[in-house]
Amino acid sequence: MAATATTSQVYVNVIDDVVTKVRDEFINNGGPGEEVLKELQALWESKMIQAGVVVAPIERSNGAKPTPGGPITPVHDLNVPYEGNEEYETPTAEMLFPPTPLQTPMLTPLPGTVDNSMYNIPTGPSDYTSGNDTGGSADIKGGQSSPYVQQQSPSPWMNQRPSLDVNVAYDEGREEAQRGTSNQPLTQEFFTASMGKRKRDDLSSHYNNADGYIPQQDGAGDSASGVFEIEVCGGRISINAHQTTSREKMSANTERPTSGIPQLDGPIPFDDDMLSTPNIYNYEGVLSEDYNIANTPAPPEVPVSTPALIAQNEVANDNEEEDDDDDEPLNENDDDDDFDDLDQGEDQHTHHLVLAQFDKVTRTKSRWKCTLKDGIMHINNKDILFNKVPLSLRRNK
Amino acid sequence: MATFELYRRSTIGMCLTETLDEMVQNGTLSPELAIQVLVQFDKSMAEALETQVKSKVSIKGHLHTYRFCDNVWTFMLQDAVIKIDDCQENVGRVKIVACDSKLLTQ
Repeated sequence: MAATATTSQVYVNVIDDVVTKVRDEFINNGGPGEEVLKELQALWESKMIQAGVVVAPIERSNGAKPTPGGPITPVHDLNVPYEGNEEYETPTAEMLFPPTPLQTPMLTPLPGTVDNSMYNIPTGPSDYTSGNDTGGSADIKGGQSSPYVQQQSPSPWMNQRPSLDVNVAYDEGREEAQRGTSNQPLTQEFFTASMGKRKRDDLSSHYNNADGYIPQQDGAGDSASGVFEIEVCGGRISINAHQTTSREKMSANTERPTSGIPQLDGPIPFDDDMLSTPNIYNYEGVLSEDYNIANTPAPPEVPVSTPALIAQNEVANDNEEEDDDDDEPLNENDDDDDFDDLDQGEDQHTHHLVLAQFDKVTRTKSRWKCTLKDGIMHINNKDILFNKVPLSLRRNK
Repeated sequence: MATFELYRRSTIGMCLTETLDEMVQNGTLSPELAIQVLVQFDKSMAEALETQVKSKVSIKGHLHTYRFCDNVWTFMLQDAVIKIDDCQENVGRVKIVACDSKLLTQ
């Protein structure tokens, strides 16, 4: 499978972001620990490389600033002599601003001199020097220690981080992962905490789920179980007794409560032209229709169709068994063999699939137009990410 | 907090799901923590697609089947022509699953 550098980099960024944000859960509150998190990341990355969507070796920017979710360096204890990194023990400041006679390295100056030295050295690095020199002083002002600590924070974290041992779980091909994970703390934080802009909707109440769960399963055709689907096409309603064996197991179908509300008003029509319900959906006469409004047969107060379909399954089974004994098998031609065989026979990964969000779906006669955004395409064994996709489709009967 | 779980069906999502499944089966990871990781993946993936991706794609084809249920559109296309920046892909069949973007922003 081919992977572009851009797609690969986005995936790597997502992995890093996820690992960073769940690190707290792994480390604190009795979590499994950092090692397990590293193992998770290593496993995930190796699978991605095997799938070919991530280009190996994984390169991470070394110059990235540390993520906000990283470990916070404790405030330096001012009661002990400063033992910092050599990088910040620059002699430059001392050369530029020779210390006063009362200010010598590693000596605790008099409180009075602390103030003088601080104000005599205006630049940033010199603050370090003064802080360095006055490390033992308890009279250092908070204002001085604050920039000192802030500038100090990236250094000990980046340098004192233990080497990551990713070879525990895997022996082969770990070089790139090890190299990558060892640079893990230097990953640049791409994402700001902007989740606030996305208010969690109240739709959760509509779905009778306290967790605010939004089902993303369209309720038909994608479940591993034998779920019957109602397919509304061209003004007719038919029960499709087709059973998909797709491997994907969507939690949507398993988490929904069963309501058992039947949605048929009578026996299943075997004749496609005969409708069991009045044709209240005038697909033929409408010139332009906005499909952003739900026009499904299900009543609005029953947002879930899957459990109702299961109930209908029982009804349908009874009817079908009786009819099968007398007449030829019903619904013989209702199954869409083209797509059914496709779903059953192919591996999911080779299925051409587009996962996205839609903004608008409109139809004018037989021409459909919709705008997709923020999606992932899996086409011809390639992963393609997109920001916006206008769909222009024509449906010919 | 609700998230779009549809990205879990992508390659990266499936790799993560498989990884988490293995670790939960080994007992290395608790199922609750695995779910937290998945939820975080949903958020991170959605945000990455919104902020990091810039490519424009266009798709044209014959609409074989359309389905709208639970605010999820599913389209089955035939003979689709997909234009990605400069290159073009011809696909015999493609399945499009799309969730309402307004659900997250409401």
